[in-house]
Amino acid sequence: MIRLYNVSKAYPGDQQALDDISLIIDKGEFVYLTGPSGAGKSTLLKLLYCAERPSRGQILINGRNITRFGATRIPHLRRSLGIVFQDFKLLVRRTVFENVAFPLDVQGRRRTDVNKRVYQCLKQVGLEQRLQHYPLQLSGGEQQRVAVARALVVDPLILLADEPTGNLDPRVTLDIMELFKSANARGTTVVMATHDQNLIRQFPKRVITLEAGRLAADRAV
Amino acid sequence: MALRPGYFLHCALRNMRQSPVLSLAAVVTVTLALSLLALFAIAVLNVQQLLLVWGDESAVVAYFAVEPTAKQQQELLAGIGARPGVAGVDYVSSTAARERFRERLGVDADLLDGLDPDLLPASLEIRLQPDGTAALHLDNLVETLRKDARFDDVRHGREWLAKLEAFLQLLRAIGAGLGGFLAFAAVIIVANTIKLTLYARQDELEAMTLVGATSLFIKLPYLVEGAVQGLLGGLLALLASFLAFHIGLRDSLGELLLVTGVDSIAYLPPAWQVGMVAAGGAIGLLGSLFALRKFVRFGPA
Repeated sequence: MIRLYNVSKAYPGDQQALDDISLIIDKGEFVYLTGPSGAGKSTLLKLLYCAERPSRGQILINGRNITRFGATRIPHLRRSLGIVFQDFKLLVRRTVFENVAFPLDVQGRRRTDVNKRVYQCLKQVGLEQRLQHYPLQLSGGEQQRVAVARALVVDPLILLADEPTGNLDPRVTLDIMELFKSANARGTTVVMATHDQNLIRQFPKRVITLEAGRLAADRAV
Repeated sequence: MALRPGYFLHCALRNMRQSPVLSLAAVVTVTLALSLLALFAIAVLNVQQLLLVWGDESAVVAYFAVEPTAKQQQELLAGIGARPGVAGVDYVSSTAARERFRERLGVDADLLDGLDPDLLPASLEIRLQPDGTAALHLDNLVETLRKDARFDDVRHGREWLAKLEAFLQLLRAIGAGLGGFLAFAAVIIVANTIKLTLYARQDELEAMTLVGATSLFIKLPYLVEGAVQGLLGGLLALLASFLAFHIGLRDSLGELLLVTGVDSIAYLPPAWQVGMVAAGGAIGLLGSLFALRKFVRFGPA
């Protein structure tokens, strides 16, 4: 599903974010990316959704080399991904329903399909009563559940999550993890960046550890 | 990607609702620019009409010193009518001239009451061939008439038409210059309105790109927003110019052109009205296009 070959990323000023990373993540896996702040976790995720381009090396997703993707192909790649961020990145001027519907609107799905699918997804994350609320009217945990619903509404091949529980209390964190687990159980490959070791112990999966941009450990459970 | 026009219109209208002041500024600017253009267009249109009327009317008028007898009239009509470049000759008696003037004065016709009934002299109105051959013989004809002692004065409209044509060109140039400047200003203001909205929504645009929205999908609502603002401005300008026309412009232009022979003052014809609203849409669309250049970025710099 995801293959990285000798991937490096350097920013201007000789700042090396990733250095010679090679790894393979199979379809249906649940993988933690962990390591201290500045280790390169977010950079690696950014390379996977083409927000950054590697300085060296190749990245294959589902057999396609995304390293050379131009601006016209990137949106199509992202439609097969679900992305969740620590700061949610919701559309604050749109309702909960419109936020979750947006990826389907982008794909040009029929309105009836969109309505049905969005409602199912919001029910799955327990927010079916909050359809017409705006993100800023919700708690942090609820906003993150909206973000997860938006990521899952398209049945993504891969779910990329960048510190998704970083701002949440322990109870909400467990809710979010349960949602990730059920998506993974339905066949979605999950790559989650976190430095929360308790979480990793609580939900043991394969752990890839980065340190100063290098692959320090790759421990399968 | 299947594009749903209704979806983009919905997004555009929501954007406008969420930034009412900026949207209003854009609409008002387009309205002002197009209203001024419309007023100039009405003036140009009617002066142009005057040129056509004068062009069609007799090109040479010879005023009699003394009203001729019926026999003299017949001789003159036959003689001048046979000259090269002359399309026809009409005799206008002093009474007929007075009646015609009375009609043109309309409600002010009583100004003529109490004046000498022979105030306006009898005349010959000589129409020239419209194919241009008349120009070759015009000087000769005017010279002959002026030498004829039966005529007190001879006037021909070529100098007047040339002056009016020059005035019309000036009016057109002022209209085009001012209108072009205002339209350009409207484009810039619409562009800045959309730009301010885009700056305020940078995070939103980024979020949209992250779920796979294409550049076109993100930009279309803003293009529609610009076009809607422009169309609204065009419609309001049409309404404003229509009201201005009926409230004051028609009467004042009418008084100005009262003695020139133009029967009625015309508003913009339907094709021009449609053109004005379309111009509003184009101004808005152009403004949005300017604003959206290089604004939506997807991936690596």
